[in-house]
Amino acid sequence: MPNFSPADEIGDGFRIPYLEQWMSLPVIIRIAVVFIVISTLFIVYIQFRIWITRYNGYLHEKRTRKVLPVIDTLIAEEILMKSDAGGHARINFDAFRLPLFYNRRNRQILIDRLINYKRSFTGSTGDLLRQLFLELELDKMSAKKMKRRSWNMKVRGIRELTGMDIAISDVNILPLTNSKRHELRAEARNAYIKLSKNEPFKFFDISSEPLLDWDQIELFKTITTTENIAIPNFARWVTYSNNKSIISFCLKLIVHYNQQDAAPAVLKLLDNKDHILRAEAIYCLGKLKYEPAEPQLIHIYSNQPLNCQLQILKAVGRMATGESTYFLRQEFMYSTDFDIRKNAAMSFIRNASPEFINELLEASNEENKLILKHSMNPLIKY
Amino acid sequence: MHAIASWLGTFYEGTVFIYGTVLLIIYALLALLSYGAIRLFLKKETYTNYNNLLNSELAPGISVLAPAYNEGLSIIMNVQSLLTLNYPVFEIILINDGSTDNSIEQLVREFELVPVDFAYNPRIRTQPIVSIYRSTNAAFGKLTVIDKVNGKSKADAVNAGINVSSFDYFVCTDVDCILDKDALLKLIKPVMDEPHNRVIATGATLRIANSCIIDKGVILQMKPPRNLIARFQEMEYVRAFMLGKMGWSRINCVPNVSGGLGLFDKEIATKAGGYDPMSFGEDMELMVRMCRYACDNGIRYAIRYIPTTLCWTEGPSTIRVFKLQRTRWARGLAQLMYAHFKMLFNPRYGRMGLITFPYNFFFELLAPIVEITGILYYIYLIVTGGVNYKYALLLLLFVYSYSIMITTIAILWDQLAFRHYKSWKEVLLLCSTAFLEFALYHPLIVIFSLRGYYYFLTGKKHSWGNMQRQGFGQQKTT
Repeated sequence: MPNFSPADEIGDGFRIPYLEQWMSLPVIIRIAVVFIVISTLFIVYIQFRIWITRYNGYLHEKRTRKVLPVIDTLIAEEILMKSDAGGHARINFDAFRLPLFYNRRNRQILIDRLINYKRSFTGSTGDLLRQLFLELELDKMSAKKMKRRSWNMKVRGIRELTGMDIAISDVNILPLTNSKRHELRAEARNAYIKLSKNEPFKFFDISSEPLLDWDQIELFKTITTTENIAIPNFARWVTYSNNKSIISFCLKLIVHYNQQDAAPAVLKLLDNKDHILRAEAIYCLGKLKYEPAEPQLIHIYSNQPLNCQLQILKAVGRMATGESTYFLRQEFMYSTDFDIRKNAAMSFIRNASPEFINELLEASNEENKLILKHSMNPLIKY
Repeated sequence: MHAIASWLGTFYEGTVFIYGTVLLIIYALLALLSYGAIRLFLKKETYTNYNNLLNSELAPGISVLAPAYNEGLSIIMNVQSLLTLNYPVFEIILINDGSTDNSIEQLVREFELVPVDFAYNPRIRTQPIVSIYRSTNAAFGKLTVIDKVNGKSKADAVNAGINVSSFDYFVCTDVDCILDKDALLKLIKPVMDEPHNRVIATGATLRIANSCIIDKGVILQMKPPRNLIARFQEMEYVRAFMLGKMGWSRINCVPNVSGGLGLFDKEIATKAGGYDPMSFGEDMELMVRMCRYACDNGIRYAIRYIPTTLCWTEGPSTIRVFKLQRTRWARGLAQLMYAHFKMLFNPRYGRMGLITFPYNFFFELLAPIVEITGILYYIYLIVTGGVNYKYALLLLLFVYSYSIMITTIAILWDQLAFRHYKSWKEVLLLCSTAFLEFALYHPLIVIFSLRGYYYFLTGKKHSWGNMQRQGFGQQKTT
């Protein structure tokens, strides 16, 4: 071990304590010592950060607890009560111009609260809330967020404006519907559908990026819940769009709006090379109960992959014309695939008469009997 | 002879040095990666409205599989809790794996069950199913109970559940786990939100429920366990999920989705052969086989983790039960490595073969062996007078402080994201537990792991591995 002495000398009189002893230690030990110091300092720092994080959280909660009742009282007195009183009452927007809201964080709480209220109220109350948002120039705060570089601030800005039904110009929003950042893309599409006065579905034409399943959930909600939106015939995109996810989404909307006149366009999708899209088209035809498709579905059945075959069996069951009973019976009796037999049985039960069902029950082997009983049992859903 | 011994000593020291250095670097990288992953998750979470999915007719169906063996103490409360999950289209499949207690009688009575003629496709071979029950009460219409012959493993029970399940995705959990009400909504989101890959599994953070305040199967308040062994596990879970799994998730290298709660793609899981009933680490084993299947069939896959705590489980609170659990886990890991050794450094298996598997092999499987050989080598050096005690102490201090730092970082990430625990003191209690880990908890894990490896080598018989639980139903409600 080196002999430690309290001081070393460099040059003419400048001394670094213990330098020579330090340098005489093996490199590994020196690194270890450095890391011990770093780790110890870091542990202390992290403890401090944890404490700060919790304290900030506590302050935020405290601030929210203080500000929210003020906002709620003002909204109740100035908006809710006066909108109940009818169109004659004058709203005093100045009541909201409190010093409390000069603070940015408090203003953000106000924005969030207004959006929350706007979600719960439509009609004249909703309009007053929107007017208040504009009067207090909170839209400028949201628009500023849209101009920020970070995608999440842009999303926040769009969401705030959309939440308050504030129009965003097509020039600003349309390019974002094709953004590479999918969260931003999804938000912009939602906003466009909700706010565009002219052609809310225009982005379906220009969209090259895929519509993810999650985006479809959000868009579906927006489309089906936005008031005064002109619902187009979605067959247009089923026929012309090159974006498979848009076609898939349109099929779901066709089912939701029961667009019978879109069925011929959907029928053409049966020639599509993508089997997933074909299966979705078959599902759509079944849900529409588009009976003219039944012969074609049965005709193509034998050339289809399993997922499409299962959808054809379900679709035929939903159409319940009674014309494919022998086809279903055939599939049930002679298919080697369990899922085909199960789906054929379920559709058969819907289509066939009780006598025909009993006849099949008697002619079936043990496993098929079980499948039929399963299909007939009202306690079993799937 | 002396020269050979000296050379061997130098070689060993050098190897261990490189091993340790790489491990420390990996931990540092995981800390950075997990920070990025958590931040991104939180940003996205701000704009996510789960109500859109909750009310949507486009939501994919999910089957929740809950295997149970002699869980009569809390089974009713746990099933009731599962039935209240928030999700538009789901079914609960409870698999009673030949329990010897009165679980099935309790279930039949409480949920008004009757046996039904249920047709299912036994794609995965399991022990025979005795009966399948459905409820005559529409309020329990989502519940299906399978009563089967004991298969001596959770894997066999879950496989039976997979065979009976109706939907394209299944969530595997333990019946004694407490799930967050929005667990299904949150687990399915990464599947629906992935632009390029097929998400074959999603996991979420698990925590220890031992001292939490629970009311009717709902966690009212999270608390660090009062029991020291359970608290060590809580700390270990925070580190493993917030730092480990989130870090790996960032680079799509998640090694394992926990058996306590995970959502899986049923098609891939079934085609991969389902859970292996002979495995002691069935969750990890399935994950590896699913990845293997995806690679073999050219499927671009992803496994995702979310940092949100969605599941609470009762952790072992005695050394005896803890020993059983960890021995089983270690044995499972050894089995897994042995069965899939071909994947090690095999570029055919992408990240799994080149990153995840080597990490598990060197830093999970070999770690206890390296540690025990290190201790033996140390003893040898002490006997031969070859130890420089001051340097040894410094090196020990270095490893000690580094490990505490890593654990504390994980707790910080947890606090930055969720601020679990009501008071600062509770966080401090958990942080302080890290100081004792090195001396009290870690040696136990090494010993139990070695015990597991020994059982693997000697082929000791296995069973369900049921822990003796107190049951949440017995805890005082608040």
